[in-house]
Amino acid sequence: MFSQVHDALFESLKRVLATMAAFVPGVVVLLLAVVLFALLGAGLAWVVRRFLLRVRFDEHIGRENSAGVADWSPSHSPTLLMTRLVFWGCVLLGLTVGIFGFDAAYDGRFRISGFILPYVAHSVGAIVIFLVGNVIARFLARGVLISAVNARMQYARALSLGVKWMVLVFTGALVLNNLGIGGSVVELAFGILFGGIVLTLSLAIGLGSRDIVSRSLEKTATDLNTSPAERAASEERPRTLRHF
Amino acid sequence: MASVEMPAPMQMPQAREERVAAQVLVCLGPTFAEPGSTTGFRVIVPLLEALHARLADGPNGASPILLAHPALPSMPEERLRNDLVRSVAYTPASDARTMWLQTAADYRVARDLMVEHQCTCCLMLGAEAQDVAPDTLLAMIDTVLRGQADLAVPCYETEIDEALLNSALIYPLTRSIYGANVRMPLPVDLAMSARMCERMGQAAAKALPGALMWPIAEAAAAGFSLAEVASARRPDLQRGDIDLNGIIALIGSSIFSDVESKAQFWQRTRPLLEVKHIGQNAAITANKGAPDKAEANTLIDSFRLGYGNLHEIWALVLPPNSLLGLKKLSLMPVENFRMSNALWVRVVYDFLLAHRLRTINRGHLLGALTPLYLAWVATYVLECDTPDDAKKHVEALALAFEADKPYLVSRWRWPDRFNP
Repeated sequence: MFSQVHDALFESLKRVLATMAAFVPGVVVLLLAVVLFALLGAGLAWVVRRFLLRVRFDEHIGRENSAGVADWSPSHSPTLLMTRLVFWGCVLLGLTVGIFGFDAAYDGRFRISGFILPYVAHSVGAIVIFLVGNVIARFLARGVLISAVNARMQYARALSLGVKWMVLVFTGALVLNNLGIGGSVVELAFGILFGGIVLTLSLAIGLGSRDIVSRSLEKTATDLNTSPAERAASEERPRTLRHF
Repeated sequence: MASVEMPAPMQMPQAREERVAAQVLVCLGPTFAEPGSTTGFRVIVPLLEALHARLADGPNGASPILLAHPALPSMPEERLRNDLVRSVAYTPASDARTMWLQTAADYRVARDLMVEHQCTCCLMLGAEAQDVAPDTLLAMIDTVLRGQADLAVPCYETEIDEALLNSALIYPLTRSIYGANVRMPLPVDLAMSARMCERMGQAAAKALPGALMWPIAEAAAAGFSLAEVASARRPDLQRGDIDLNGIIALIGSSIFSDVESKAQFWQRTRPLLEVKHIGQNAAITANKGAPDKAEANTLIDSFRLGYGNLHEIWALVLPPNSLLGLKKLSLMPVENFRMSNALWVRVVYDFLLAHRLRTINRGHLLGALTPLYLAWVATYVLECDTPDDAKKHVEALALAFEADKPYLVSRWRWPDRFNP
């Protein structure tokens, strides 16, 4: 019996070692590809940065597009944005090459790149969606907040938060959907959450603006019922401030 | 050859008899493209005739005035038929949003026509110019033709509760940055010499067609001479649908960008530019009474609402000292509500720096400036009962801007330096 146990253990160890011996070269190839492409990306990014600084790319973008690319880029520098895009593009390319290299080096019974590559692509997509969604949510929330304050809406912050969470919920649903997690549960939860936020905002705005709407309707009705002479007399109210 | 006879009314200098060789290009803005009787270019005819009566004929008896007007959309070949005035039509390219102000496209058109027709003086007229006093325009043309100034702009009389953005921001900022004491630095009507027109044309060529231009800043940077002509009140401009937020965003963004583009010029200490002041007017009047004090309550409420909601955004832009000042301001009762000049100056300078550094999105930045500006307006309304009060208030503000300019220069050069 002991000899059978010994044989089984020995056989198991042998298989694990054989698998690892086949696996390690693939991992090394993967790491090597990523590191090499990262170095290549760093070099290319350096060249691109030097070139863009030489042609004063930031100034051109700033002059031609005062509220565009520069506002979305790190440290508000389009040059930095371009260099980072080049670097991470190379790293992503290295990862893809590495996975194919791993596949070629790994003498397994199944092609690992067949399911790893799509998942990596989806993961990268999910990360991009997550980052972009966060930036858009923050941008829209701030814009709505400022516009609502300048329109003298007392519920400006609630409106801003509502818009922010609508975008975040939408982003979260997209990320989970992209990763293939949750399936129909995500869709259902997204529908409930999104609908709930929209309904809440509608109620908040509707109830909050009740007075404004009624005043507007009263004014319209009054205007329709008054004669031109009365209207002219009512227009002689104290002057409002003129800013320009 | 043309001549200019200066009119007597409105405390203008006395009429002069000498005749000056010139041909004046009168360039109408794109608002005159409307074919209607109240806004089309034909409404300008009486004004042109009045100008013509004071100007001598050009070479070979030609009219001294060349009128450039926008082509009518329905009749592109339509021209003004008038025996006194020669005319030329041009295709307007201005952005409709800013048509009530002179834009880069208008300056480009003016430069091209000046070169093409070899004119010596360009008079640009904005919307509703048909009601501008001919004396004012003649004084501007005369100043330029006699070589007394490369740029002559009007100083229109305003009511005490008008042109508040000009008083709060445009005038004091232009005065402190460029050292040009010109009451209205964003003129709708102006007269330029040929070289000034060329300079503006070059600057306009680098800008988008709908961009606003700052002729006072250009003249200051080029070392050209300036003149300001006192004038009666100008008719109200039709500004379309643009509201206060839109105006602040449009003008604030433009002036901040212009300051940024001329940083090499204004960072050096220079003496104040000599501005020739022609004529005399009250500048600020109160013909229609003092501002309504009840407006202050609304303005203060707007500021407080802004303080409650935009505090985090202001904290990205303003240093702690200014934030503390705003906090105290938000707690003041209405009767004691006063935004100090020093605080407003710091706010403007810090927003200017944030605009340059792109601390936050520029649209958001200028939107966040609106409640602060309303706080300044509330202070103005509460403090100024008479035109004298208003003049003193605006003058004190301009001096505060000048006194604090070293702060701007310092932070412009070293934005990361500790700033309490």
